[in-house]
Amino acid sequence: MNKTDVIVSSDESEGLFNEFIQDQLDEILDEVINRGDLDRLGDRGSDIIIEVDDIVPPTFVYGDDSGGGGSGGPGPGNEKGKLRFRIPFQAFMELVGQKLRLPNLVKEGEGRIKEVSYTFKTFGQVGVILDKRRTFKRALRSSVGLGTYAPEKGRVEVQVRRRDRRFKVPQRVEKPRHRAVVFYMGDISYSTYGERLEMEKRLVNFIHQWLDFNYGAGNVEHRFFVHDVDAYEVAPSDFYKVANAGGTRASIVFELVSQIAFNEYDTNSTNFYAFYFGDGEVFEDDAKRIVEILGSEMRASFNRIGVVEVKPSQFSYLNREIKRQFEKDDVVRMGTLRQRTETVEVIKSLFGERRA
Amino acid sequence: MLSIHTEPELTALEERVLHHSRTFGRKVPEIRFFVLERLEFASLLEKDVYPTSPINIWEGKRMVHKKHAIEAGLESSMFYEVVQTGNPSYAYLNSANSPVTQASVMAHVVGHCEFSERNVLRDSNDNRTEYVMYLVRKVDRSRQQMGERDYLEYWNAVESATTLMAPNSQYNVARSVESESTIGADFKIPTKEMEKIGPKAPKVIVPVFDTLTVLLKGASEPSAFEAELRKRRRVATLSRKGYALKAPCQDVLDFLRRHAPASQAERSILDYKYVTRAPQDFVMRTQIMNEGWAMYWEKKIMLELFKERAVSGIIDYARVFSNVCRPRPYFQRNPYHLGYNLWCHIEQLYRDGKVSLDYHEEIDLEKKHAWRQKGTGDPIEAMGHLVDTVTDYEFLRRFLTPELIHELELNRIDRRTAERLGIKEQDLVSRDEHYVWLQPEPIKDEMLRFYTHFYRPRIYVIDTDFQDGGLLLFHRDDGRALRKDWIRPTLRNLNLIWKAPVALVSKDQLFAVTGNQYKSEEVKPVVFEQVVERMRRGEKPFRAS
Repeated sequence: MNKTDVIVSSDESEGLFNEFIQDQLDEILDEVINRGDLDRLGDRGSDIIIEVDDIVPPTFVYGDDSGGGGSGGPGPGNEKGKLRFRIPFQAFMELVGQKLRLPNLVKEGEGRIKEVSYTFKTFGQVGVILDKRRTFKRALRSSVGLGTYAPEKGRVEVQVRRRDRRFKVPQRVEKPRHRAVVFYMGDISYSTYGERLEMEKRLVNFIHQWLDFNYGAGNVEHRFFVHDVDAYEVAPSDFYKVANAGGTRASIVFELVSQIAFNEYDTNSTNFYAFYFGDGEVFEDDAKRIVEILGSEMRASFNRIGVVEVKPSQFSYLNREIKRQFEKDDVVRMGTLRQRTETVEVIKSLFGERRA
Repeated sequence: MLSIHTEPELTALEERVLHHSRTFGRKVPEIRFFVLERLEFASLLEKDVYPTSPINIWEGKRMVHKKHAIEAGLESSMFYEVVQTGNPSYAYLNSANSPVTQASVMAHVVGHCEFSERNVLRDSNDNRTEYVMYLVRKVDRSRQQMGERDYLEYWNAVESATTLMAPNSQYNVARSVESESTIGADFKIPTKEMEKIGPKAPKVIVPVFDTLTVLLKGASEPSAFEAELRKRRRVATLSRKGYALKAPCQDVLDFLRRHAPASQAERSILDYKYVTRAPQDFVMRTQIMNEGWAMYWEKKIMLELFKERAVSGIIDYARVFSNVCRPRPYFQRNPYHLGYNLWCHIEQLYRDGKVSLDYHEEIDLEKKHAWRQKGTGDPIEAMGHLVDTVTDYEFLRRFLTPELIHELELNRIDRRTAERLGIKEQDLVSRDEHYVWLQPEPIKDEMLRFYTHFYRPRIYVIDTDFQDGGLLLFHRDDGRALRKDWIRPTLRNLNLIWKAPVALVSKDQLFAVTGNQYKSEEVKPVVFEQVVERMRRGEKPFRAS
């Protein structure tokens, strides 16, 4: 048996196991998609921990009927009969995007802002960082040629000459960097608590993740605004907390966002997104004003504007009014979130391809 | 994977190690050494120390975990020695090891190869690795024949049976199953023909071990008619099935691979699993002797290598050696520590002439204590005789004394563990601020008990015609209950292999899988000895109602 040409490897078996995990992952994603179970997405930008039931060949063993033991920890591990996998946020969101058939967002501003980094892909005769491996390799080759390294004759000197030296040469790499700003607008006059609040949170969470995924977490600014009869900016943590039982006027928050977008950002290099959440119960003139702001100010500069009615009632009027003007529009999108399971449908209507 | 002959330094070391092993009188088969990369090494271990294996999800799972553990620094990738004994034997070195470690691994392997070749359970076949590689190719072909889905399903089913192996049990297939090839055993074969067949002719030994039972058997001898009837039944069964159970069979997987209705492709999977896993039984039964023997000769050879300066780094070696041979409590058996020290102790016993009738019959304790008489034979030869004739059970039974247990600190456990285990004050002989020392006397019995069950349930095939062709398994009750939620899937997997109903009797419960149906019912419990006796009498060992 000529065994020197054998490579001991478990690649095929590992592939089989990875296929199994992939199937499990698909099932989890189906669950996310079908049930709107977006809690699985975990903390923003962090790795996603996936837990699937462990697989063990059953045998006759002593013991109780509880799960297996073992320690957990990051990456594939085993904890109480569970296999735990850590998937990078980017990879997980790619899978979600594929499953939901969401196209990548169109990024503008390319060529204006660059992310500069350096790699050491080339090697030269001058430089600062000596590549020891390459230098030694060349020196050894030269020494063999010159006869100073000839172990069979008892000569083992490796001479490192100046011309043998190889230095790592940094190469400038420029990647276009896109900036984005997302405005979340919430109506605090309606009863945002309980299930309604949960549904809104889920949706905001997904939008947050999806934009971070598309632009890179550091390149997206998320700003939160609320309104009743006034509109003002709040800290992200306060977005779900502030509430007012009084009257409402939604157009002022659109006005505020529009002003901030044009006054605080460079419209040529910034990608704008705005999402409004409310019950849609606005006065007719208020709705008309919103349509006006959308059409005359925001639509031209914003990449996407989403208006979502969360648990709307028969008096909800906002989307009806917007629909008249923007039904087939690619930038202005509408969604109606009546129950949790519709979350995915709303996501699709906000980010999916618009059919002609 | 490279032969060490591609590396001159290792080749020279191999030559010196083998030279010294021959000088010490070690008789070893041909050993082929190879050098593996770190992950190759990890993979080899997952393949039961063979260079190839058929594709399977379990190996994949273990490797993914192992790779992660190595990369995260949770597990060391330093594996010191891995050897597949046989003729030739294949030993694998880790490319990351230093020359002194490589030399010690080679010296260690010498001990293992000799032990496997000589021991009474002999774990060595000609061309074993080559045969397994041939089986792997067969299984790969089977995969194509069966289709991916069926292949994986069958493989996973066989995994459930891999713990049901006992090739060295007194109830293994050779002793429990009568097949067409062994039917002639009832007849006396003429001596000349016996000589022709040679010692390899199959022996049928009816497992009756109780001498008193044999002596008293005459009183209940069946009548000639009954004996004839039983014989006829057995012959009828044999001619119908090709085999008959005459005693419970503990080697369930071996039984299945021989007698389960299976296609060629399925049988190749059963063969592969059995052949690669069977040596584990040998390891369990001889680990202390085997590792101790390997450490003993490793040290002797290494000291010679240091003396002749073939290798340097004696301090490093001493550090590794003492780490490997560090004492552990008896329930965490460190076979290197216990085995090595026992062999050294035995050598000294022989040198002092203490393994003799005179020594045992000496009643003067003072004399006995100061006993230093030159033994009659060569201690090494006597130790070799032990290798040839006993396994761990007898080894410990004969040589492990309470004094030695205390001396080797098998009874030492840290205080926190002692508290957790609820060890009482009266069970201790001494204590300090870190450790407590248990009474050594009960420890030996506890250690010997391991060899009766290896902490596993003892499962036997007792009937192959249970309720119309079903396979009946029997759990020998030792007071503990089986994990219930695993019984059903395990039976289902065995059902896939047996292709007929499979049932299990455990205490007063009968669990059965028939087709897609699973049921469990209460039954009248039956003890193992009853089962054996009924089978001996040719009766049904168990009836559900």
